Amino acid sequence: MSRPALMVDRVSVRYRPYVDRKPTLRRSLASLRSRATTEVVALDDVSFRVEKGEAFGIVGRNGAGKSTLLRVMARTLRPNEGRVVVNGRASTLLQLGVGFNPELSGRRNVYLGGLASGLRRAEIDQVFDDVVEFAGLGEAIDRPVKTYSSGMFSRLAFSVSMHLDPDIILLDEVLAVGDAEFRKKGIQTMRQLLERSGTIVFVSHALPQVVDFCSRAMWLDAGRVRLIGPSADVVEAYQGSLR
Amino acid sequence: MATASHRQSVISRALDYLRDLARRREFALALGTGNLKARNANTGLGILWWVLNPLLLGAVYYLVFGVIFPGRRPDNFLVYLLSGMFVFHFTSQSMTGGANSIISNAKLLANLRFPRLILPISALIEAASGFLVSLGLLVSIAVITGQASITHRILYLPVVIGVHLLFNLGLGAMTARLAVPFRDINNLIPYINRIWLYLSPIIWPLSFLDDAEPWVRTAIRLNPMYDFIGLYRSALLGSPIIADHVIGAVAAALVVGFLGIGLFVKYEGHMVRYL
Repeated sequence: MSRPALMVDRVSVRYRPYVDRKPTLRRSLASLRSRATTEVVALDDVSFRVEKGEAFGIVGRNGAGKSTLLRVMARTLRPNEGRVVVNGRASTLLQLGVGFNPELSGRRNVYLGGLASGLRRAEIDQVFDDVVEFAGLGEAIDRPVKTYSSGMFSRLAFSVSMHLDPDIILLDEVLAVGDAEFRKKGIQTMRQLLERSGTIVFVSHALPQVVDFCSRAMWLDAGRVRLIGPSADVVEAYQGSLR
Repeated sequence: MATASHRQSVISRALDYLRDLARRREFALALGTGNLKARNANTGLGILWWVLNPLLLGAVYYLVFGVIFPGRRPDNFLVYLLSGMFVFHFTSQSMTGGANSIISNAKLLANLRFPRLILPISALIEAASGFLVSLGLLVSIAVITGQASITHRILYLPVVIGVHLLFNLGLGAMTARLAVPFRDINNLIPYINRIWLYLSPIIWPLSFLDDAEPWVRTAIRLNPMYDFIGLYRSALLGSPIIADHVIGAVAAALVVGFLGIGLFVKYEGHMVRYL
């Protein structure tokens, strides 16, 4: 059996609000005296693996721990327990337009966003024209990004992420942006990625999209794995719980 | 045995980190210059403000201490004041910029994996670009007013700047690390800066030290800015190099530099939790 693209092994993440989250001086001094704080468990003993070439969906209510889980997979958040193994170059699309500076031109932001995601300047030079064309921005690429409509902004940001040539893409609700035509283009691009045996982890509240797009899915409930299986079954069980 | 392998792993981890940093240098540069450009994108004078700020502040102090209360001033008070002002401003900018670098890039931290030291480094690049321009301005003023002559000592300038950069990076990394859990730091920094400015030989002449209380003199001599400003004045304004300044500046840069970077790197895995 080949190595999985992504393996999450018994991961737990806990936050300690009021002490851990934002310990201002006063709170720290107070906590020296009383250590009694309530811990919030964001993820509790979560394990699963995602194979290469697979689209894996994650569903669950608000606050179920989906975004925390993506951050752990992106390895920007160190879990309290457990480990994450990633085989390949992971591109994270947890939010669109990360690393963008709205005061600067679209052109500069393509470079900033690409460099932020780990590309080299020379690599960005090569894909620059494709990025602009995919985003459909034309001349507007030299205007400051703050003058863009929110649709234009999302298109540019999505286009940059799509051209990073990742092996693994982590998506957090980002396909909910742009107009219908752009969404179609986005889904197309991701299917191409899957055909190249890339891997996608997809967090979404758009349940039909999860069924349509993902082969398997996981239902996360209050930080715990409720169900892992074929996406249609998981989405059905999750929808059943909402009624 | 266990200690040896542990030490080995610390060194190899540090080397890995440095390699990682070097690989992402284009990102640090783009972030720093981008911020510099963005910050002044809406002002008519743009990047010139970085030079104008210390220059105008220098003009205010010159008006107060050079004209209104003249007292005992060195003949070259204008370049004396401006050199101190520019050097100090570079350090205080690095400190403020460092403190903000993590908090203002919260989105970047939450989403992407990269050596976090890139953020204080890009703040340093931002501050250093303005500083270099202001040094050019200082030399021009010195030559035009004839208050100083350029000597061979200007060859020491790159070394002085290098040592100063390490000091500023350590300071910026330290404030960045502290500002993440303790946002209160941002309120304190302006006051720290103000006191530090008065304890540095900028608005008062060096002769002031002769009649100062012994403890004041000690406090000022322990202030690394006393050494850094002294070294810059030697390199740019031609005053002789004092060994104490060299020792003080190098020691301060090594201690603050490595302590700040060390504290920062040790903590960086936990930063996302606080943002």
